[in-house]
Amino acid sequence: MIKKILQFFKVIKSGDWLIIILFCGLIIFSTKFLWNLPQGEYLEIYKRNEILATYSLNQKITKIINGAKGETKINIDNGKVRFSSAPCAKKYCIHQGWINKANQTIICIPNQISISIVGAKRKYDSINY
Amino acid sequence: MTLSTINIINRDHQIAKLSAIAVALSLIEFFLPSPIPGVKPGIANIIILYTIFKFDLRMGIWVSLIRVFVTSILLGTFLSPTFFLSLSGALFSLFSLIIFRNLNSKYFSIISFSLITSLAHIAGQFIIVRLWIIPHNGIFYLLPIFIISAFIFGLVNALVTSKLLQLNSKK
Repeated sequence: MIKKILQFFKVIKSGDWLIIILFCGLIIFSTKFLWNLPQGEYLEIYKRNEILATYSLNQKITKIINGAKGETKINIDNGKVRFSSAPCAKKYCIHQGWINKANQTIICIPNQISISIVGAKRKYDSINY
Repeated sequence: MTLSTINIINRDHQIAKLSAIAVALSLIEFFLPSPIPGVKPGIANIIILYTIFKFDLRMGIWVSLIRVFVTSILLGTFLSPTFFLSLSGALFSLFSLIIFRNLNSKYFSIISFSLITSLAHIAGQFIIVRLWIIPHNGIFYLLPIFIISAFIFGLVNALVTSKLLQLNSKK
């Protein structure tokens, strides 16, 4: 069994190892570079396209927002935030769970409420219903 | 009046057979469920790699392009974004093969070629997606997933191809 595995690895030549190592380097580099989202600082709550309110993420409170269909509860818990209850049918917004990174967004289309985390550096994005 | 005749040589038969296998594999792959949308193993590339190593690069180019066109016609995606994605992936892969064809075969085997072409495939698709289909920088967030899958499937496809070539040379 071990011999077979070793034989299998003999197919890979020295140059191939070089390419494999380069490729692994590329994977590590790309994950580090592209997935390194900064931590969020503020939470913006949108109703339709307008900012309703902005809150700091460094607190532990529950906010109740009136949307198009009813009340939406938003939990802020020291750096992370989620929808804890919403009047929509599918509850996609609740199932998204906690978000904590800058530029992450949760949208509840039926209730026309969306929340978006903003980092120290603001990046503009558009949200439209 | 002169009759124009097409001389069908053995080579054409080979291309047709290999393309048929590649198309069949693409169709099988199309119906396989994928855990992550957009990530596909690309098993048809086993045939293309096999063709390039068993025969030559020109034949590989033929098989690859025939595969892209025939598969899209069979699936009804001809000239749709899906078709252009697969075409640009194929063209970039072939282009990278043309660039790297002179790599010394003493040090670089089929595995290197497979990895290089799978990366070129991802690059080609991402350029089309960024320029045309989803012109937003947010898609680069997905790039690591595709690079990792390119690595895994590039390696697996290469190992399968080298096994195929071994089995075939023994006969």
